[in-house]
Amino acid sequence: MSVLPPVRRDRIVADLPQCFKKEACLHTRDSFHSKVTSACKQQRTGTVGFRISKVIVVGDLSVGKTCMINRFCKDVFDKNYKATIGVDFEMERFEILGVPFSLQLWDTAGQERFKCIASTYYRGAQAIIVTFDLSNISSLEHTKQWLQDALKENDPSSVLLFLVGSKKDLISPSQYALMEQDAIKVAKEMQAEYWSVSSLTGENVKEFFFRVASLTFEASVLAELEKTNARKIGEVVRINSNDRNLYQSSKKNKQKCCQ
Amino acid sequence: MSALGMEGSEEAQTPSGEALSLPWDRFSSWLHCICVVGFDLELGQTVEAMYPSHAKLTDKEKTSICYLSFPDSNSGCLGDTQFCFRFRQSTGRKSSLHCVLDQVDRDSPVYLKKDPSCFYGYVYFRQVRDKTLKRGYFQKSLVLISKLPYINFFHTVVKQIAPEYFERNDPCLEAACSDIDRWPAPVPGKTLHLPIMGLVVKVRIPTKHDKPGTTQLVDMTQQTDAHISVALPTIHEVDLFRCFSPVFFHIQLLWELVLLGEPLVVMAPSPSQSSETVLALVGCISPLKYCSDFRPYFTIHDSEFKEYTTRTQAPPSVIFGVTNPFFAKTLQHWPHIIRIGDVKLAGDVPKQVKVKKLKTLKTLDSKPGVYSSYKPYLNKDEEIIKQLQKGIQQKRPTEAQNAILRRHFLELTQSFIIPLERYVASLMPLLKSISAWKSPPQPKPFSQEEFMKTLEKTGPQLTSRLKGDWIGLYRHFLRSPNFDGWFRSRRKEMMQKLEALQLEALCNEDLLIWVQKHTEVESVDLVLKLKNKLAFAQREHLPVGVDTLQKLQGQVDTIIQELPEDLREILLKTNSS
Repeated sequence: MSVLPPVRRDRIVADLPQCFKKEACLHTRDSFHSKVTSACKQQRTGTVGFRISKVIVVGDLSVGKTCMINRFCKDVFDKNYKATIGVDFEMERFEILGVPFSLQLWDTAGQERFKCIASTYYRGAQAIIVTFDLSNISSLEHTKQWLQDALKENDPSSVLLFLVGSKKDLISPSQYALMEQDAIKVAKEMQAEYWSVSSLTGENVKEFFFRVASLTFEASVLAELEKTNARKIGEVVRINSNDRNLYQSSKKNKQKCCQ
Repeated sequence: MSALGMEGSEEAQTPSGEALSLPWDRFSSWLHCICVVGFDLELGQTVEAMYPSHAKLTDKEKTSICYLSFPDSNSGCLGDTQFCFRFRQSTGRKSSLHCVLDQVDRDSPVYLKKDPSCFYGYVYFRQVRDKTLKRGYFQKSLVLISKLPYINFFHTVVKQIAPEYFERNDPCLEAACSDIDRWPAPVPGKTLHLPIMGLVVKVRIPTKHDKPGTTQLVDMTQQTDAHISVALPTIHEVDLFRCFSPVFFHIQLLWELVLLGEPLVVMAPSPSQSSETVLALVGCISPLKYCSDFRPYFTIHDSEFKEYTTRTQAPPSVIFGVTNPFFAKTLQHWPHIIRIGDVKLAGDVPKQVKVKKLKTLKTLDSKPGVYSSYKPYLNKDEEIIKQLQKGIQQKRPTEAQNAILRRHFLELTQSFIIPLERYVASLMPLLKSISAWKSPPQPKPFSQEEFMKTLEKTGPQLTSRLKGDWIGLYRHFLRSPNFDGWFRSRRKEMMQKLEALQLEALCNEDLLIWVQKHTEVESVDLVLKLKNKLAFAQREHLPVGVDTLQKLQGQVDTIIQELPEDLREILLKTNSS
């Protein structure tokens, strides 16, 4: 039986973290969807049980995808550049509205060489983080292509999109203001939520990932609620009392873990 | 929170606290290498690529991998096929594995320990029509080479990598290796999340302390997450019911043959059937370890072919899986042969069949069945047969059938082994015979007659309703390699326990008083002896508590402080030999 250590204290979410810019965000509600809050309150296990979401991070070579994740997951910043081979992976655990929730963070390689295998890693993502370098305008221009590739493997209607500018510490406030205008425009076009961060100073990194986790969690619970409601209509579950004995041992275990 | 494990930064460390930091260390705790085997028109099968490129395989090993990675008969395996093979590593190979991993290995159940002399190959073979190629066919295998018998786990992993590789080539393998090189080591008892090509595989590595027959991994994730995360209920077990279904009237006989280490050959139409069946046979006596050689898939090109098929000696204690019809002739003198036909449709109720006389197996197209003149010691368990047959009629899920069969074998094996365990435990010397000042006493030798006497009162009849000649079965078993292997490991455990008890006894003595009563030479001798014992305890991982070792180390240090200064210096520096 797998015993998980308790979730870190600073990974507990009770209120919905707010967006970064109202002009380019996924929604502007200031709290979680009421259906989600009440479902979590009731702790309807099965509906709101332990869940996982997959998040992929894409973007040009050396825009700082790995650094951003390392800042958040390990709270470190390494100035040396090490290219990602294929994909890096991190698992981050949260507790949102009292429900355990894991984010799988798949940090893909920006190198051209690995583009051919990327689709393998893109599959089944609930959120896509498209990253660009605030100090490099061409990396912003390439974000649309990255998004297009990532969306090929996923259902565009159900996946949450984020556009993140990194390396905010490298540019002056005036340069930033200009860049932000362009970025917000791009974000609106792709219907993504815009953020800017600095992995060096840590500015906005935690806030950003909390927002990602919360919105992904919310969307995932809503989708599940919708599904169970649909299933309730017309479907009958039949249990044959003879067959049950066969599963007795596994059933027992299941009950234990859901308590 | 670390990348993959559940227990924070500890995951990146070995039990002793060293960081596993060198590149490929993590990879090599799971795999030796990944090979791509293709077909060259001029050379035949060749290893086209190998990852990591610095991995070492001798030419002989490469040749073995080449032949074993392809089906060796015209069985037509069109499409994708998965199977497993096992081959002997070349002699003189240095252990390429990180030494810390042997520590990891120590808590594994016997049947999951790293194979010291063999490699496993987990194959994904693709054969499809391709008009653009000269031969008209695309034929390639991706093979994971490992020392670990995690059959089910590697089956899942290679299935995840290979189809992607065949589509997208090298970067895919590079990425897969990089994924694997980030996995935490397979430490027994840990639940691990292992990312591979966009999927997270959740597994629990069993320990020798697990209760046999219990599944330790409970999947708490929702089914909807299946495309991003899979939880494997077992890393090593094969589906016994599926594998035994072509011969399930004979499971009792087969269990005895495996238990006794009898030479056994499985002739099957495809490598996947042959390997599955062999692995099921080897696994059916679990938690006993099958100690003889076994080859889930064996070809006529194998370097042991001559050695194993010679007619000048009696057939060796081996279980083979073969597909080449040539073997029907080469091995027709073998005492026990299982012949498996093409897969029947699911739901088909097999008819009761008799064990066939060996004489009839001469031609290539002999009928499926078990060919043997062996007469089982125990009576057939009709109940399990009926239960399984009923299951087939009622279309009971194969997982449930498998669980029933697995439990049956487990109970049978345990009923058989418990009297032996009990007797062997009685060979332990009495606790009072252990003295701090004498070397630990030896366990008493195993006496067949003494053991047989215990069967009258505390034999298998206590736990099994099966009747038959249990005594005869034990007599035969005591001569078998499986008994030898089992007894050796029990004896080693006992010796270690005795060493540990003696250490504890030493630890509870006031050594300082002893030193004060003895000469300097004797004290120095004691210090050196104690140092040796401490080093031995650590090297052999004796079952002693850390506190005992620390206390004893403390005693050693105190004695040294009591000695004159010049001696003190030397003794502090002296490392135990």
